[in-house]
Amino acid sequence: MTALTATAGSAQVKGTRGAILAAIGYGLIWVFLAIFLIYPLTRIFYDAFTTEAGQFTLLNFQDFFDDSFYVRSFWKSMLLGVATVGTTSIIGVAVAFLLIRYEFPYRNAFSYLTLLPIISPPLVGVLGFTFILGRAGTVNVILQDYLGLQQPINFMYGLHGVLLVETLHLFPMITLSILDALSKVDPSLEESAQSVGAKGWRRFWDITLPLTMPGYISGALLVFIWTFADFVTPLVLGVHDLLASQAYLNIVQFVDRRLFKMGIVISALMVLLAIIFVLVARHYVTIKDYSSLAYSKVERRRLSPVKRWAAVAFLGGLMFISFIPHMGVTLAAFGRGWSLTPFPLEYTTQFFERVSIETPKYILNSFVYCGIAVTICLVVGVPMAWVLARTRAPGKNTLDAMTTLILAIPGTAIGIAYVRAFHYPLPFIDTALTSMWIILPLVLAMRRLPYTVRGSYASLLLVHKSMEEAAGSVGATQMRIFRDITFPMVWKGILVGALFSFMTSLQEASATLFLTLGGWEMMPFGIFTFYISGSQNEAAALGFILIMVAAVSLFVINRIAGTKVGGLFG
Amino acid sequence: MTQRREFLTASLAALYAMTNPARAQSTPTIEAELNLITPVSKFIHDAALAEFAKYARERWKLNIKTNALAAGTPVAYGRIVEWKGRPEVDIFWGGESALFDKLAEQKLMVPLNLSKATFDTIPATIGKPKPIYLKDPKGFWIGTALEPYGLVYHPTLLKRLGVPPLKDWDDLLNPKLRGHVAQCAPSRSSSSHATYEVILQQYGDAKGWEWLKRLAANTGLFTARSRDVPSVVAKGEFAVGFAVPSYMAFEERLAGFDIRFVAPKTAWITPEPMGILAGARNPQAARAFVEFLLTERGQKIFMERGLFPLSPKYHVKGAPGSDAEKAVEFTGGVRSYFDREVTNIYDDDKAQARYNEVNEQFRKDIESVLEELKKKY
Repeated sequence: MTALTATAGSAQVKGTRGAILAAIGYGLIWVFLAIFLIYPLTRIFYDAFTTEAGQFTLLNFQDFFDDSFYVRSFWKSMLLGVATVGTTSIIGVAVAFLLIRYEFPYRNAFSYLTLLPIISPPLVGVLGFTFILGRAGTVNVILQDYLGLQQPINFMYGLHGVLLVETLHLFPMITLSILDALSKVDPSLEESAQSVGAKGWRRFWDITLPLTMPGYISGALLVFIWTFADFVTPLVLGVHDLLASQAYLNIVQFVDRRLFKMGIVISALMVLLAIIFVLVARHYVTIKDYSSLAYSKVERRRLSPVKRWAAVAFLGGLMFISFIPHMGVTLAAFGRGWSLTPFPLEYTTQFFERVSIETPKYILNSFVYCGIAVTICLVVGVPMAWVLARTRAPGKNTLDAMTTLILAIPGTAIGIAYVRAFHYPLPFIDTALTSMWIILPLVLAMRRLPYTVRGSYASLLLVHKSMEEAAGSVGATQMRIFRDITFPMVWKGILVGALFSFMTSLQEASATLFLTLGGWEMMPFGIFTFYISGSQNEAAALGFILIMVAAVSLFVINRIAGTKVGGLFG
Repeated sequence: MTQRREFLTASLAALYAMTNPARAQSTPTIEAELNLITPVSKFIHDAALAEFAKYARERWKLNIKTNALAAGTPVAYGRIVEWKGRPEVDIFWGGESALFDKLAEQKLMVPLNLSKATFDTIPATIGKPKPIYLKDPKGFWIGTALEPYGLVYHPTLLKRLGVPPLKDWDDLLNPKLRGHVAQCAPSRSSSSHATYEVILQQYGDAKGWEWLKRLAANTGLFTARSRDVPSVVAKGEFAVGFAVPSYMAFEERLAGFDIRFVAPKTAWITPEPMGILAGARNPQAARAFVEFLLTERGQKIFMERGLFPLSPKYHVKGAPGSDAEKAVEFTGGVRSYFDREVTNIYDDDKAQARYNEVNEQFRKDIESVLEELKKKY
């Protein structure tokens, strides 16, 4: 934070006035991070390491590790995270290899479709799965009624069900992360390995794997943290002995202050673990290695007819399974009294009527808050990306690490950190930040900032410095250079990053859960509300609407950004 | 001439008053906003707020903006305490009345100051040997409607399992129901907590916990929220649900599911208490809402949705085929709890005094050792 006085990016800025302005701008970025990231996190660590009276203590953590139930939750969370990384890796790597290396029918369609599972809204995914794969889901009903099975097969309830849901939700994250790395691996390297006799697995182990490792590690880290932090999926499936579930359940358990404290302790522990994971993987996940949203063209090989259709069958099957939740949610949203039949017997729009009163409010709130959040992301994120890409400003590496850390912090933890940090009345206006709706866009902006930074950073790297310098040498001012040279070349990348921030904000339910007050509800919160205090059909109806909104947004993004998103693999 | 004019003016005024009673009475108007925090389902609170908004338009020509913050009882209580007298909402609705007493003690509630007429139509208690309080003698809270916490089952699934229709708590321990019961942990749901207490107070602590452990061994799913219990039974995911408020099951019935509800004899009946928070921004609207819910029109909202009137004056009744009649049929023919003997063994004071202990014991003896219990029984 000494950066406030530093002459940031002095190499680029000519004249002291510009230097001072840049330093102030850089300082403001740090102020923003200090207030909305560092301070809240310090606040939950303070809570976790003190008694109610404010005395320093390690007792809270001792209580945690003395409790066999918590310890079990801890290990089960780790196991689930590792298992999900395993399953998503197998699927995600296979998909990435197929899409980037081989030519087969419908490749373009698949490259678009395989991205979709990741935008499945929270809760909707797991509900949709139970409608199809639950004990009374379509599959079990068919097995029992038509194939004579006595007892339903338990596909869902338990850790294996959580693993299934997370795997099919998160494999695109692995695919996306290694795609970048993979497309940078020069196929000629592999070919030369082959020419000296290294084939198949050997070539993969010796050449391809080491080269794609950095991209893979960053993707794996994200999958691990995501699974680790998800509490909605396990709760619906009756799995309570996980860290995220316990953090959530204990925090909402306000009455018992001891349990409430434990919830905060668990949240702090999860943040601590996130920091450790980031530090361990630090070597691999600097922004350089997970940054790119654009790909160089790679020569694709044609597959033999059999293999070609095997690829189509694999991806087709994968897509079919991945869209089970969407199918289930749609059926439940329109089906009336759907029970113990493969598909609903009657159809109705009654659930849509029930949710229609509040839906416009949810949609409006979602767009307003996410819009503000993205604006904040742009205002803070683009200069951040510029600092990272173009300067040697002091504290730059820390800034980079913090961008990664934000991605790794569980949503509920940041939510509760905001509650604890901002419930004090502000000076002059005498209202706490937690009583003002602006806190929602703020927390969303903070949580989704890395995507904007990463998108902007990637496109800034594409603009070679020498072009800007050339403009500078013929007398263009910094502003002028930015307007005429840099901006036209980077705006698409920035936009894609910003829109990714927008899309993920639209789906956000964990950090906002504790912060939402009446009237501020966004769509995912609405689904949550209908799930906990309405019926599953109403939640499904709202989920259906959210899927539609997300699909339309994605379509619009696709149109605006042209090849950058839809042609992500091409 | 003057007289005539005066007469004319007076009669015009009278005419105006007749066509527009709201203007004529110089009733003090209310704030144009009302906010609740409540564990009562959307099915009920949405309808109640919508009807009240309609009433406000008729009576005060007021477009009132209403909002409900849905939160489980512990969360709602916790948030009110956290707000420290500067609440984001005006009214707390639902949960156990003892929590309202606790809030009143912390000076986080204000007296309702209801009209005597309204206050007096509500009996002080119902049930024997232990009374269930329907209103606070000190006037900080009042009940809104009665609702039993019972059992639900899926008739087709039950038949498939060879289990006769359920009648009492003990039917849940049928070994054929192994893995087919859904319930919510008592630490997460007030209906579940109250029903755990019913079992403990009915059988005594030792036998009661033994019973609850056996139930846990039969349980296939501990849901995260109580509202999910009737949902999973309606769908057929699980055959039986424990500790379900009558109206939650009835909502599933109205949504087209074949789900059945039974209130065992000792099932606890909650009056769904309501109180106004100290520091509420809309105290007049809040008070008007409480008064409104206790009128016939207000009580009707409940009676059409599987709850029961709080006053002996009303009975659940409607045209054949109406939702009210469906509700009567659904809850086993009950039209009013004041016509019948209400057995209550649940002592709320006792329950509240050991609230955390029961949750702690659940966690220790049931939740943490669930797999062992399933092997043992």
